[in-house]
Amino acid sequence: MTKFTNGASIAVLALGLASGAQAGQFDGVTIDAKLIGGQQYEALYARIPEWEAATGAKVNIISKKNHFELDKEFKSDIAAGTTGWCVGSNHSSFAAQYPSLYTDLNGLIAQDSIDGFVGANIAAATLGGRLVMLPRAQFDVSALYYQKDLYTDEAKSTAFKAEYGYDLTVPETWAQVKDQAIFFADGPNFYGTQYAGKDEAIVGRYYEMVVAEGGKFFNDDFSPAFDSAEGKQALQWFVDLYDAKAVPAGTTNYLWDDLGNGFASGTIALNLDWPGWAGFFSDPSASKVAGNLGVAPAPKGSAGVRTGWSGFHGFSVTEQCDDKAAAASLVDFLTNEDSQKIESAAGPLPTRTAVWDYVTEDAKGDAFRTEVLAAFKETAKTAFAVPATPLWIEATNLIYPELQAAILSDKTVDEALADAAEAVDEMMREEGVY
Amino acid sequence: MKRFKMPPWLVLLLPAIIILSAVVLIPLVLSLYSSFTPYKLTRPESLYKWIGTFNYEKALGDTKFWAAFGRTILLLTIALNLEMLCGLGLALMVSKVTRGQRALRTAMMFPMMFSPILVGFQFKFIFNDNVGLVNNALQSLGITDMAIPWLVDGKLAMFAIIFAEMWTSTSVFAILILAGLFAIPQDPLEAAKVDGCTPIQSFRFVTLPFLMPFIYIAMAIRSLDVARAYDIVQIMTNGGPARRTELLWTLIGRTGYVDAKMGYANAMGYISIFLAIFFTIYFFRKLTAARAELGMGV
Amino acid sequence: MMQSVSAQNRKRIAKTAHFVGLFIAMSIICIPGLWIVLNSFRPTVEIMAKPPVWIPNELNLDHYRAMFGGAGEGGVPVLTYFRNSMIISITSTVIALLVGMGGGYAFARYHFKGKSAIFVGLMVTRAVPGVALSLPLFIIFARLGIIDTHFGIILAYVAMNVPFTIWLIDGFMRQIPKELAEAAEIDGCTRWQAFWRVEFPVARSGIASAGIFAFLTSWNEYALASQLSRSTTSKTMPVGLLDFTSEFTLNWGGMCALAVLMILPALVLTFLVQKHLIAGLTFGGVKG
Repeated sequence: MTKFTNGASIAVLALGLASGAQAGQFDGVTIDAKLIGGQQYEALYARIPEWEAATGAKVNIISKKNHFELDKEFKSDIAAGTTGWCVGSNHSSFAAQYPSLYTDLNGLIAQDSIDGFVGANIAAATLGGRLVMLPRAQFDVSALYYQKDLYTDEAKSTAFKAEYGYDLTVPETWAQVKDQAIFFADGPNFYGTQYAGKDEAIVGRYYEMVVAEGGKFFNDDFSPAFDSAEGKQALQWFVDLYDAKAVPAGTTNYLWDDLGNGFASGTIALNLDWPGWAGFFSDPSASKVAGNLGVAPAPKGSAGVRTGWSGFHGFSVTEQCDDKAAAASLVDFLTNEDSQKIESAAGPLPTRTAVWDYVTEDAKGDAFRTEVLAAFKETAKTAFAVPATPLWIEATNLIYPELQAAILSDKTVDEALADAAEAVDEMMREEGVY
Repeated sequence: MKRFKMPPWLVLLLPAIIILSAVVLIPLVLSLYSSFTPYKLTRPESLYKWIGTFNYEKALGDTKFWAAFGRTILLLTIALNLEMLCGLGLALMVSKVTRGQRALRTAMMFPMMFSPILVGFQFKFIFNDNVGLVNNALQSLGITDMAIPWLVDGKLAMFAIIFAEMWTSTSVFAILILAGLFAIPQDPLEAAKVDGCTPIQSFRFVTLPFLMPFIYIAMAIRSLDVARAYDIVQIMTNGGPARRTELLWTLIGRTGYVDAKMGYANAMGYISIFLAIFFTIYFFRKLTAARAELGMGV
Repeated sequence: MMQSVSAQNRKRIAKTAHFVGLFIAMSIICIPGLWIVLNSFRPTVEIMAKPPVWIPNELNLDHYRAMFGGAGEGGVPVLTYFRNSMIISITSTVIALLVGMGGGYAFARYHFKGKSAIFVGLMVTRAVPGVALSLPLFIIFARLGIIDTHFGIILAYVAMNVPFTIWLIDGFMRQIPKELAEAAEIDGCTRWQAFWRVEFPVARSGIASAGIFAFLTSWNEYALASQLSRSTTSKTMPVGLLDFTSEFTLNWGGMCALAVLMILPALVLTFLVQKHLIAGLTFGGVKG
C-alpha cells in the first residue's frame, strides 16, 4: 500500500500541474480550514502539502475535531459571526442546518470535475439549487454483515426449513431477517441481530425502513407522514425483534460503537452496519468474526425497496471566505480522483464513478474485499439521503424518544407514532415551515 | 487618590470578583437576554427579536421539562447522600490505617484522576448488557444467566448513572473528611475517653460535630459540581431510552446545541439555576450553623 | 482474665472487619480504573470478548505504538496534548490558589457588610450550567481573539476553580486560632508577614488539598475545553480522547492508552502532594 501511495503522489503532482491549478497560482494566499479529525479521516490531510507546493498557497488547519464537536463549533461560529475562515468539513445529513454559512460551489469548480461524481451524491449535496459541498471518499450506506458458518450448518438449515417453510439463506428481505434473527437468537450468549437504538441513529434506521416499506417520512411540505400504515409496519419490525428477545436488551441504548464491538465479539448473527467497519471486523486482532465474515447488500422491505439511508462527508467553502477561488481549488483537490483513491484504499467508499471502477478493479483477487465492494455498490445504487430540511436533526430529537418508548413497550406503536407526529408537526409550525 | 482607601478585605477579594465577573457574570447576562428571544444559533438575526417570557412559559408548561427537573433533584439527593456516607466510612477506615497510608490515600483518590468523559465511556462499556464487564462477571460466576439491561431498564439505568457518579466523586468527600479528621484536636477525644465514653459515643458527640463543616463544604461543592456530570450522563445514556434518564443538563444541552435553540435552552437553564442556588444556600446555612456551634465565627 | 480475652477477641474482630471493609471499598474504587489500564495493553478482540477472557492471553504495547505513530496509522499528537494540558492545568491551578488564598483569608479573618451574600454569590457562579455559559463565553472569546489559546482556557479554568479554592481555604483558615497571628503581630510582624510566617504554614494542608482539587478539575475538564479549543495549539488530553472516535467507530483500546497517559501524571502528583496533606496532622497538634 505504501508503494501505491507513493506512486499516486507522483502521479498527482504531475496531474495537479497539468490540469486545474497552475504553479504559483495562489502565491501568498493562506486558507484557514476546519477539518474533521479522527484516524479514519487523517490520511487524506497528508496530501495537503502537495497542493500547497503546486499552488503556492498555504493551508492553516485552525480546527480539527470530531464530527459532533465540529457541528457545535460551526453553530457557535455562525452565532458569533466568526465565519471568515475558508474551508470546512461538512456532512450531507448536517449540511442543511447551515444555510447561510457555505457558498454555492457551482461556478467555482469546473463542471467536468463535478460531472465525475456519482450523480446521486451531487444531488444530495445540492440544497435549493446550490451545490454546498463536494463529497470526499467517505460515502456511508449500510450493508448486511453476517457470520458465514450459520448458513453452512446442516442441522440449522433443516430446523429452520421445518419451522418457517423456506430455505435458510442469507436474507434478502427484512421479513427474512426477522425470522432468522428470532431463529438464531439464544440469549444471553447469542443474538439474531441488533440495531442502533438512540439519537439520530434509531430515527435514521426507522426512516430507511419506512421507505423500504413503501412509505414516506415527510409529505412534500415537510409535515410528518411517518404515522402512516407503512410507518407503523416499519416500527413494528423493531418492536417485534425486541419483544422476541432476538436483539440484546440494551440495544435501545446502542450507538455505532456498541454495535461494532458487539458484532466483533461474535455474539450477533446479522448486523446492518457501515462500510467503515469492514476492516475492523476482518482484522483477527480486533474481531472474533474475522474469517467467518460475509457481507450482503441491504435487504428489501415489503415494497421491494432496499433500505439505504446514506450520507457522506465532504468539504465546503464559506460565504465569507476572502479567496473563494483558492478555497475551491483546495476542495477540488481533496476530492479529486487521486485523493479518493488514497482514501478508499483504506476501506471507505468513494463518491466518484471512476474511483468506484478503480477500487473494484484493484480488489480483484481479494475475495473478501470484492464481496464487500459488491455488497455496498449494490446498496449504494438505490441509496437515499435524509430529507433535505434544516430541521431534520431537530425532528429526530423529537422522534427518537417515542420510537424507544414503543420498542420498550412504554407505548403502543400507534400511540408513539401519533405523539411523535404531533410533536414534529408542532415544531414545524413553530418554525414557520407551513 | 488618597481620599478613598479600599478596605483590605476588598483588596483581597477583588481579583476573584474581577475574574468571576468577566468569565461568568457577563456571559450570564448575555444568555439571560437571549432567553427572551427565539434565538437560534444557525439564524443569528433571531437574537434581535424580543418575545418576552414565551420561552419561560413554554418550559414551565412542558411536562418533559418538569420530569427532567424532578429526576435531577432525585439524582442529586440520592447521589449526594450516598457519596457523603460512603466518603465518611472510607475516610474513617483509611484514617485508622497506620502503615502505607500515603499510598492508600493516593489509591483512594484514584477515581479523581479520571476525566468525566472517560468515566462515561468506561461505565457505558462496563454496563453494556451484551459484552460488558458486569454482566460477563455475573454470568461467569453463575449468579445470573440473563443479560441484565443495565442502561435500558428505568431503575437500573438510574442506578448505573448514580454508581458512575458515586465512583468518581466519593473520593472527594473522603479526602475532605479525612483532612477534617486530621484537624481534630486530640484533647476533647482523650477527655471523652477518660470520661468513659464508648468509641461510638465519642464519634457521635466529639468527632462528628467537628467534621460537620467539612461535610457541608464537600456537600455544597459537590451539589454545584454534580451539574457538571453532564459528560458522564450524556455518553452513558444521553437521557434515554425513552427519556427514562433525561436530566436537566442533557435536555438543555441537546436543545441548545443539537437543536440550536439557544434561547429556549437558556430559559430552561435559568430555571435550573434556581435549583442550584437553592442547594447552595441550603448547605451554606447548614455550614454556618455547624460553625457557630463550634465557635468558629460566621 | 475472661474479660481481657473477650476484649482481645473483640479487638481482633474489629480489626478483621476493618481490613475486610477496606479491602472491599478499595476493590470497588480500583477495579474499574485498573480495567482501563489493563485494556490499554490488550488486543481489542479480548477486551469485549464473549465468552469473556478473564486471564489475558496476550499483553502488548500495540495501542501505545499506534498512538505515537504517524497520522493515518492511528497516531494522535499525544505529546502536544500532554504539553497543553500541563501548561493549562498548572498555570490555572497556581493562579486559582493565589486568588483563592486572598479570598479565603478575607472571608475567614475580616468582618464586613454583606459578607454572606458575597460569599454565596461567589459560590453560585460555579453552579451555572455549562451550557448557559459556553456559548456567550465562546462569542466573547472569539471577539477578543482568545479562542484556541492557552490563555483563554486558563482564564476559564481559574474562574471555575476560584469559588472552590476560596471556600476550602476559608474553611481551613477558620480553624487556625486568631490568637496565633495576633501574637505574631504583637511580636512586630506586619499582618502580611504574620500571614506568611504563621498562618500559611499551618494552613498548608488546606491549600494543598485545594490545589489538588483545582489541578484535577482542570486536568480532566472536557466540556469547556472542547468549546474553547480547536486545534493542536490548545487541545487538552480529555478533548484529545475523542480523536479515537470517528462518525461510526470508536477505538476503545487506543482511548484507554491515552487515558493511562492522562492518569499517570495526576497520580504521581497526588502521591507527592499527599505529604503536605500530612502536615494537617501537625496542624491538629498545634490547636490541641
